[in-house]
Amino acid sequence: MSGTAAPDTLEPGPRSIGRSLLLTLPMALWGLLMFSQTLRVPGSAPKVAGLVVFLFMTTLFFLMMRTRRTYRWRRIFFVSVGFLFPVHFIWDLIALRGSMSIPVEQMVGGNTPFCFLAIPMMIVPAALTRTLIFPGSILPTASNPHAVASMVALWLAATLVLGKGWCAYGCFFGGIEEGFAALAKKPRIRRVDPRWRWMPWAVLAATVLLSAALYEAVYCTWLCPFKAVTEFPEVNSVTSAVQFAVFMSLFVGLVIVLPFLTRLRTQCAFFCPFGPFQALSNHLSVFDVRIERSACTDCVTCRRACPTMVLDEKSVEKGRAGMSCMKCGACVDACTKGAVRWHIRGTPLSASSETARLLYLFPAWAFATLFGGSIIANTLTKLLELVL
Amino acid sequence: MQRLTSFLGYTGAVLTSVLMLLMPFVLFGLFTGAVARTGVRVDPVYSGGEPADTLARDGYAIVVNHPVRSRAPLAPPAPFVQMTWTPAAALPASVADTVDVDGDGAADLVARFAVPADTSAPLFVDVVPLGSRVGALTHASRADLSGMIVRVGGRILVRAPLSRR
Repeated sequence: MSGTAAPDTLEPGPRSIGRSLLLTLPMALWGLLMFSQTLRVPGSAPKVAGLVVFLFMTTLFFLMMRTRRTYRWRRIFFVSVGFLFPVHFIWDLIALRGSMSIPVEQMVGGNTPFCFLAIPMMIVPAALTRTLIFPGSILPTASNPHAVASMVALWLAATLVLGKGWCAYGCFFGGIEEGFAALAKKPRIRRVDPRWRWMPWAVLAATVLLSAALYEAVYCTWLCPFKAVTEFPEVNSVTSAVQFAVFMSLFVGLVIVLPFLTRLRTQCAFFCPFGPFQALSNHLSVFDVRIERSACTDCVTCRRACPTMVLDEKSVEKGRAGMSCMKCGACVDACTKGAVRWHIRGTPLSASSETARLLYLFPAWAFATLFGGSIIANTLTKLLELVL
Repeated sequence: MQRLTSFLGYTGAVLTSVLMLLMPFVLFGLFTGAVARTGVRVDPVYSGGEPADTLARDGYAIVVNHPVRSRAPLAPPAPFVQMTWTPAAALPASVADTVDVDGDGAADLVARFAVPADTSAPLFVDVVPLGSRVGALTHASRADLSGMIVRVGGRILVRAPLSRR
């Protein structure tokens, strides 16, 4: 930590409506640019969906500007994506195949949609043999628009912009558990051993090594809880029945029950191998979260607010969130002393937290509008087509 | 020094926004092309490998791919050769073809399967080896990536296991 001037620990109250609108204007224009494409699509449903999502995303951003708070508004967006993505995905699968299971025809035909969670497991085999251990296609095709190159490109670009912020603004699964965590007013399980935070690193190491040894994406084949709400191998043998049982158990346990009991994103905090992999990219991002020790009263409010238990005694003592911080803003919003602050690397801690927040929020929300917004719009379009 | 690091920090922050603005218009296409240009391809265990030969038949063809051997160090699936009957619509109700899978001029297997008119009906294949190179399949369907028959689009794919030698 550096800097000599006293930081603006306590932010002023709500921003004026005029200034808030002015700050929202660039994001509104971005939203217009993104969703104006729905005007070219025939039918009224895409246009209505585009308009609704444009208003939804712009309103949430306005509220972020007006209240100077991030987490609760981001959560509304993130949970919406989390719950609507499976609807959209399953809808497409049922229309295409009549089932959520992946028939082997789809696998050998290269028609399995690619998921970013497979990226860490593909790196070693790709480096060694230039082959991808995923039954998809490299470039988009008519039968598989979700090709490997497109998803990797999107993830690469998002990583440059957001770092670990992907887990708070880009991941289309995290919102499900965040939604279930939000259902409980108070955690039923209050004490979780912090050593569980190492579990995702262990899962990452194990799945990367096993995937390189077996030449298959082991996490996707055996462990991914979100297979329960997307697609899974056709159940036609004892092995595939066991796989299906594992997917369902992990989904119910880690994505529904434990988040509700702990108010934590338990799958992200204690299991997902993509989280630690993405945390390595946090060094690329200039944005981080710092704690001003002189303003901190050790009230542990920030630690209780962190949905992935990244903040602990040590990190508060050090004055910075751990490398797995996904920059969701929960701790900053929760701190009543203004001690937990948005920060830009290289700048003094006394520099404005709100300036750092704005400079982070613009690209983060622009990505959220582009990616998550289009997921919401596509799902709404399908739902509206039933009505209109 | 603090001024310089602050300047660099804010410059990085602004560049982040610029990168974001460029993402849908420039970066996405650039990165997609870059990934494709790396020359990576889908593991042949899934894709079935590259075509090696095309055998013409009466009204249809059999595309024989190069043999596929998994590079998995642990528990690799059995090697196989993929053959594609195309177009499926031109196939007779019952197919029995001898196929030379290694291009040495000698037939290596006989593949027999029925082609139901209902394209969603399950397929079953018998592979009779004519030598030691190919393994046998009896009434195989879709349970094993190294020995199966499936309909993909307008084609019928058969994978016959090869000996591990």
